[in-house]
Amino acid sequence: MNTDVEGLLRDGMERFTEDVSAPAGLARAAASLHRRRVAIRATLASSAAVVAVSAVIAVVAVAGPQSGRAQTVAYLTSQVRQAVASENMVYVGRTTSTYGPSTVWAYGQQSQWVEYWPTADGNQVVNGQRQWDFPPQYRGQAYSAEGTVRVGGKLMGAYVIYPDQKYNLSGQLPTQGSACTTMGDLELGGPAVVSVNWKSFIEQMLACGAASTTGRVRVDGVETTKITGKPVTVRLAPAYGRAVREKWVTVRWALYVNPVTYLPVRIVGSTKTYGGSAGATISSATTNVQWLRPTKANIAKTLVTIPPGFQQVSSQAGV
Amino acid sequence: MADDPTARELEFFLAERAGRLMRTAVLLTGSHDAGQDLLQTALERLIRHWRRLDGDPEGYLLRTLYNLATDGFRRRGRLQRKLLLMRAGTQPIADPIAEVDLRDALVRLMLQLPARQRAVLVLRYWEQLTEAETADVLGWPEGTVKSTAARGLQRLRELADGWNHADPALAHVKLRGQHA
Repeated sequence: MNTDVEGLLRDGMERFTEDVSAPAGLARAAASLHRRRVAIRATLASSAAVVAVSAVIAVVAVAGPQSGRAQTVAYLTSQVRQAVASENMVYVGRTTSTYGPSTVWAYGQQSQWVEYWPTADGNQVVNGQRQWDFPPQYRGQAYSAEGTVRVGGKLMGAYVIYPDQKYNLSGQLPTQGSACTTMGDLELGGPAVVSVNWKSFIEQMLACGAASTTGRVRVDGVETTKITGKPVTVRLAPAYGRAVREKWVTVRWALYVNPVTYLPVRIVGSTKTYGGSAGATISSATTNVQWLRPTKANIAKTLVTIPPGFQQVSSQAGV
Repeated sequence: MADDPTARELEFFLAERAGRLMRTAVLLTGSHDAGQDLLQTALERLIRHWRRLDGDPEGYLLRTLYNLATDGFRRRGRLQRKLLLMRAGTQPIADPIAEVDLRDALVRLMLQLPARQRAVLVLRYWEQLTEAETADVLGWPEGTVKSTAARGLQRLRELADGWNHADPALAHVKLRGQHA
């Protein structure tokens, strides 16, 4: 190794972070996050009273003086959280988005999230911009999968990249980041509401008190109740912002729930990146949700498929 | 919060060390916001174990940061990132003569490395730890640290070469010692 490169890398890291400072209230935010997680664990221990009370507190704080509406939102979110926490069905979420489709199958600790190549061709124009180029034979094919596999009866984390025919295994199962922060999947510039663990994501999202309004909407001819989140705007990561030539991203989301079972039937998210030379770009994702009986066949789909002949590599090999 | 002794101790600790930890978290994730998210997650774990901590909280926090960063913390959406970068590559460069410093380019390239390689390089060249100290933080054998660092540096050269072709704004970037 040339020592100059080491020195340059060291200098580069200094420069890259020279304007970085820790935000005020970091300890407070971490303590608050900790308390919320403890509360969520209590909720998952099937204490319906705790669910209702914590939801009321969270949403009243957001809604302020509009107590009538706040109580309605609080009641609704508590019902949804209870329904999501207590169901024992297989979650299937099919997402269509500007960046191509993806599917999540989840049951208990098992999950499989599959990301597909877009079906659009390289010359498609979306929001006035030419889309990406990629080999046509990949169109609509699975690109990668992340989730769990069973190895010798033990549940393990797995990640597969199909075009590379490579996969890796990990002792750690996929986890869901905090929905209360403004990051989530934002850092990747993709739709905000794509998650391996939807149940956890919905649970956390509602626990954050992010929901602000409700209304009745028909989805595919069926009446649903709509919960709308507050828009969130964050600055794009500098390197990423340079690559896509934009500076800011604003995210919106909405949850549509069955008014009888209170289980989500559709999740819609959109991101708008703007502020740079590339001009504003809007991407969106719509996830249609099904809750299936936990049959053997359905549960089998909640495990990642690793085709025979694929090479197992360590994560440091880039998979 | 102010009456909570754990929080008070933590605030004292962070008043001294948060800046440096935040910079480390930004280097591990590549962005300010993701770094903040990572550090907050690590701090939440620290709070969970605060009363049971016997030794140096910074050491615990550092280990947690690196372990979170290398266990696939927010690795989903690779295809989306790839596609957006491909899309960006098809557009004219808005400012082709933008000043791109070699040091800046190296860090940008480092942020594309797999998480484990990136973590080793940050520990070695940012924290300036020895190979043995790096192995201790990550809980890996020293040989693994050595080979991972070597692969990471090698990958930097390869990626730099790829970027030279893909991004005209980086065309003038050449690493000293880079293979032809």
